Amino acid sequence: MADINISVDTPEAREKLFIALYKSAFPAVARYVSKMGGAFDEAKDIFQDALVIYYEKAAAGAIKLNTNEKAYLLGISKHLWLRRFKENTLQASLDGVELPDETSEENYSESRLMRFLETSGAKCMQLLRSFYYDQLPLTEAAKLFGFSGVRSATVQKYKCLEKVRETIKQKSLTYEDFLN
Amino acid sequence: MRTSLTDTEQIEAHLLQQTSPGDTLVFEARLLLDDELADKLHWQKATYNMVKLYGRKQLKKEIEAVHQTLFNTHKHKSFSEKIKSIFMRG
Repeated sequence: MADINISVDTPEAREKLFIALYKSAFPAVARYVSKMGGAFDEAKDIFQDALVIYYEKAAAGAIKLNTNEKAYLLGISKHLWLRRFKENTLQASLDGVELPDETSEENYSESRLMRFLETSGAKCMQLLRSFYYDQLPLTEAAKLFGFSGVRSATVQKYKCLEKVRETIKQKSLTYEDFLN
Repeated sequence: MRTSLTDTEQIEAHLLQQTSPGDTLVFEARLLLDDELADKLHWQKATYNMVKLYGRKQLKKEIEAVHQTLFNTHKHKSFSEKIKSIFMRG
């Protein structure tokens, strides 16, 4: 694969990327997990978490997509495996890799709020996801969402931020244990 | 509406640490004097956190869909068999 920063701004492009990553890196991860006595579903869970970490690092510009992704994904997967099953013996962290924080997703009120945002606020959430999670450049985000230019994309971004901010504030008054 | 957008923009610059030291001082002084601004900042911080969780959740769904495609469609049969054989030997 060429060492270029490929664009993953659409769901289709991400699907292509993940298929390619699965094919290049999952066999080695599966062999490792199997060797360590793990099952298929464990290899799957670990690999999918590794893909999320890889994607977030790439989105933040911390690593380049396609830069030795196989070794990188195998390294993260090994780390996740050890953390998951040998937590007591392993304390070292891997290059400061931040692991997805599962506990915050288990918060009941937060997941009620999430469901609300996913349904009634989907349009703004998708837009905000592109800006802050996928970290698309303004020009690409403007193209993806059909805005006339960078300025109108920026204005819409802030309008969505305000709308979601207000929703979260209002809902937090009903879901009392949220963010205390 | 304009002022509100400007506030939102400034809160973002502050939270994402994109301001100069001088601007930071001015903004922090405003925060002390303006309860409404402090309130907005609090909820805007929560908004970025929710957007991150939302993004991660959507991404996980996309990855799971790819997994289903790879392991349940004829097109990728040789790949899924190769993986399954790894777990048969153990």
